[in-house]
Amino acid sequence: MNALTPFLPTIAALVKIGLLVGGLMTAAAYLVLVERWMAAWVQDRKGPNRVGIPLTKIRLFGLGQPMADGLKIIMKEDFTPRHVDKVLYTVAPLVILAASLAIFAAIPFGSVLPPLGIPGLPDPVPFLVAPGLDVGVLWVFALSSIAVYGVLLGGWASNNKYGFLGGLRSSAQLVAYEIPLGLGLLGVVLAAGSLKLDAIMNAQAESGIWYAFAQPLGFLVFFVASFAEAARLPFDLPEAEQELVGGYHTEYSGIKLLLFLVAEFLHMVTAAFLIVIMFLGGWHLWGVTGSGQEVTWLGALVRFGVLSAKIFGVILFFMLVRWSWPRFRFDQLMNLAWKVMLPLGIANLVTVATIEEFRPQLVAALGAGPAAAIALAAPWAVFFLGWIAAGMLTPSGTDNTPIRTHTMLDAERSLRGQDLVEV
Amino acid sequence: MTPLPFDPLASGPLLAGAVVATAASLWLLLPNGRDTSSARWLGTLLGLGALAAFILAGRRLGGVGEEAVFLIVSLVAVVSAAATIVSRSPVYAAIWFALTLAGVAGVLLVLGAQFLGVATIVVYAGAILVMFLFVLMLAQPAGLAPYDRVSNEPFLSALAGAVLLGVLSLSIGRLSAAPAPCCGVPSRATATPTAGTQPSSDVASESTTATVASSVAPAIDPLAENHVARLGGELFGRHLVAVEAAGVLLLVALIGAIAVVSRGEAAQAAAASPSAGRSAAR
Repeated sequence: MNALTPFLPTIAALVKIGLLVGGLMTAAAYLVLVERWMAAWVQDRKGPNRVGIPLTKIRLFGLGQPMADGLKIIMKEDFTPRHVDKVLYTVAPLVILAASLAIFAAIPFGSVLPPLGIPGLPDPVPFLVAPGLDVGVLWVFALSSIAVYGVLLGGWASNNKYGFLGGLRSSAQLVAYEIPLGLGLLGVVLAAGSLKLDAIMNAQAESGIWYAFAQPLGFLVFFVASFAEAARLPFDLPEAEQELVGGYHTEYSGIKLLLFLVAEFLHMVTAAFLIVIMFLGGWHLWGVTGSGQEVTWLGALVRFGVLSAKIFGVILFFMLVRWSWPRFRFDQLMNLAWKVMLPLGIANLVTVATIEEFRPQLVAALGAGPAAAIALAAPWAVFFLGWIAAGMLTPSGTDNTPIRTHTMLDAERSLRGQDLVEV
Repeated sequence: MTPLPFDPLASGPLLAGAVVATAASLWLLLPNGRDTSSARWLGTLLGLGALAAFILAGRRLGGVGEEAVFLIVSLVAVVSAAATIVSRSPVYAAIWFALTLAGVAGVLLVLGAQFLGVATIVVYAGAILVMFLFVLMLAQPAGLAPYDRVSNEPFLSALAGAVLLGVLSLSIGRLSAAPAPCCGVPSRATATPTAGTQPSSDVASESTTATVASSVAPAIDPLAENHVARLGGELFGRHLVAVEAAGVLLLVALIGAIAVVSRGEAAQAAAASPSAGRSAAR
């Protein structure tokens, strides 16, 4: 036992990684089934309900469908077109999947286990692969920006115009929406005073006020930006089927396509994790989970269940939105990012910073209760003001009549630099 | 006499050999007119030899640590940096450079500078390099022009780079091999043990009064808690003017970019207006 002690943290980390990766992969497979059920429900169909236990007649509501789907796509021919750039064509799906899995090193998937009493392990054991990382939020941000490479390289290496257009659209979209995403994150980081995601959850549990209530504007901005970062409808321009066939993964098939699809699903799961952890209180639920760091085994399980239920709820919302909204046009997408989301994000950040700066003075002048009420009311006032401003100025409103600033003849004139005879 | 870790007589020739091998390998590998596979193989072999010699020399100079992770990430950084400059395709060069940044971020993480490591990825790999790739992919749909495929002055650049590398590693080795100056000077950080827990303005003012940065640095455990908070205190206390100046500079650049774009639009409008005026007169 003594010989094993120095390796215990490594073993614990490996166990957590195994649980997390296995859980995520299974969850991704079954979330596809949930998404198909949701689609069927919205469209008034029955959806996949036939596949059950193989070689028997037992159907089990179609719960065998993910296995059948996975088996089918893995057994398909892994066809590589001759015109692609072979190295980057192979690397792109690996990059995107590796990045979207590595994000979870810094994302807690529960609260803490009760003390195990094993020497060499930290007590209590956190539900987090890398508890020593002091910059968890930034780690998530960094790796989600690495995922852009997978999309961009996949599109470029395919050497196909649809793939290329999808890759370009996608990189422009992801780069644009990283800014409101970061502004939404910053408000929470300022209020919690830490870049660790578990510390952010603890701060919400201690005060009992989730940041969705304390920073409604930041919640809105972050929510919309994370839809765009996950490239879900209404922001699924990178792979708009009606225009781009399949976008950046048009040329992919078999297991490589599977890697892309799993990575896309993981982006959605990551977004749901972040929304719940940063704005919806994480594992905290009033009157159910308690708020301290001391837990029993039952308490740890309940917290894990609350977190999972919240994440599942957010994912269901993602799926419902998919069937409720039409896709943005590209200029509308960019207008929304730069003219609406960016100013609203800055307004939220300034509000939060002002409140956090003057909170001690407020408490000293008015007492704790009124100060907390003001700190809660001011962001809501800013939220409604921002809403009204965005509605009145309509910076994202677009005139859909064709704009003819100059005719083809003018264009040709300016190209040749000479006068043409008008015919 | 006690054996010092720094022995210039033994490590000097090794370092010189490494520098020469680096120069020759870079010269052979850089994209230029005479590209043969034998030259490339020779260049690769020379480069690997130079790398091994550098590691050996660094060991003797005391500049290279023992940890396996550090060795791996730094090798990734160095090899991919070399691949960045010798690769023929700009897109591949950009990808290699991304790998270089990942290696550098790994080195920073191993050294305990978590914020710097992650910020390197966010800023360089996540934003700037993606923009580069974007432009590269847009700019060359029909393949490379001939002048894109050769490097200017491969000999001089290889020579200059190798000499710079040698001089830098020699001086760094000398610094790390010299009897550490920190032990002679009473360290301020040990005198104020609460510095780690109070990352506020008083720490910053403490640091401003500290004369030499190196006298503070070794005593602080970089992996301690509140890493980011202390970095923030340092940035907005001691280096406040530099941070503000950089912010103003970026703002100026932003406004300049907007001004350039709007001027371009105005010029376009002016170029389009004569014909508009004429057609209106008709």
